[in-house]
Amino acid sequence: MELSLCESGWFAAGSAFPLSCIHTSTSLQKLGKWEKKNRIVYPPQLPGEPRRPAEIYHCRREIKYSKDKMWYLAKLIKGMSIDQALAQLEFNDKKGAKIIKEVLLEAQEMAVRNHNVEFKSNLHIAESLAGKGHYTKRIRLHGKGMFGIMKIVKCHYFVKLVEGPPPLPEPRKTGFDQAKEYVQQLRSRTLVHTL
Amino acid sequence: MVVVVLHLMPPIRHLLQRCWQRLERGLLPAVCGVQSPLWGLAPAVQAPACLPEPAAGTAESGEGPGFLGGVLWMAAPKKRRSIEVNRCRRRNPSKLIPVKRNIDVCPECGNLKLKHVLCGYCYAKVKAETQQIRREISKKEGGAFNAPTVESVVLYDGEKPTEKDEGKRIIERARKRPSWFIRN
Repeated sequence: MELSLCESGWFAAGSAFPLSCIHTSTSLQKLGKWEKKNRIVYPPQLPGEPRRPAEIYHCRREIKYSKDKMWYLAKLIKGMSIDQALAQLEFNDKKGAKIIKEVLLEAQEMAVRNHNVEFKSNLHIAESLAGKGHYTKRIRLHGKGMFGIMKIVKCHYFVKLVEGPPPLPEPRKTGFDQAKEYVQQLRSRTLVHTL
Repeated sequence: MVVVVLHLMPPIRHLLQRCWQRLERGLLPAVCGVQSPLWGLAPAVQAPACLPEPAAGTAESGEGPGFLGGVLWMAAPKKRRSIEVNRCRRRNPSKLIPVKRNIDVCPECGNLKLKHVLCGYCYAKVKAETQQIRREISKKEGGAFNAPTVESVVLYDGEKPTEKDEGKRIIERARKRPSWFIRN
């Protein structure tokens, strides 16, 4: 009589055979795409290749805040170094600023602990996004027996830290440059359907 | 007098009858210009019917049936604003959060502070110590309205009152003197 795997597992308390443990706790919630990005493993780099900078993906889900308001903070810190971003968020009065600061500090610690980043200041924010979370609908009572349906709004916040100094902002295109480009375009025209 | 007129001009009699019917109904649009002294009652009735009408007409030209007409002149959006138009408005540089350029490092503790504002960390630590001193004071006084009329001086562990502290109330704190609380 064949014992099923689970039964043999339960009887494994005193047996000599080390059977695989059963997960008694429930599995974690379904991982989102952003969390899975931390799991990719690249093949080892060849000796001649330039060093690939470390990338750390972190997010926080279902924050009780509006995605439109969170977007302004995400736009503020995009492209800054992590120290500058933390400084800006510390002196910002918005509710989302405190939350994003916590997320950045968590990500920084993760970087140093798990992702082989040498200096915790040598990180910059490559991507910073705010997304819509689950909305719950509720009834909001108005006067004269009227009612409206209000949405209780939640958002997600995503951040990608990359090792290295922040990239320089692109220099603004001057009028002179645009004019030069135009002249170049005119000069590179060729005659078609001719001898 | 009126009877004699009626006998002499039958077409006028018909006109008069029609005008009288109209008067009874309360409206007299076109004939109001003709105000002959023959019709004793007529001018009294005609004038209020005539004069307010053009005035009322101009006033009510927009509103028609009372208060309901006012609704037609409320501002309302003509078209749904597209997401591109909405984005142009929401992402305008005036609506973005400006980058602060007045952040410095506190020379005492090394935390960040704004240039014109006290360092938050240092302020919090001073506040905590002040709270402890105030607790000691309240323990000494033992109630409200018992503040003495002399100065107070705070002494920490291992400190003795000097000649300058004569006549002052002494408040003991059971800890080492903090570095930022200088003794004069």
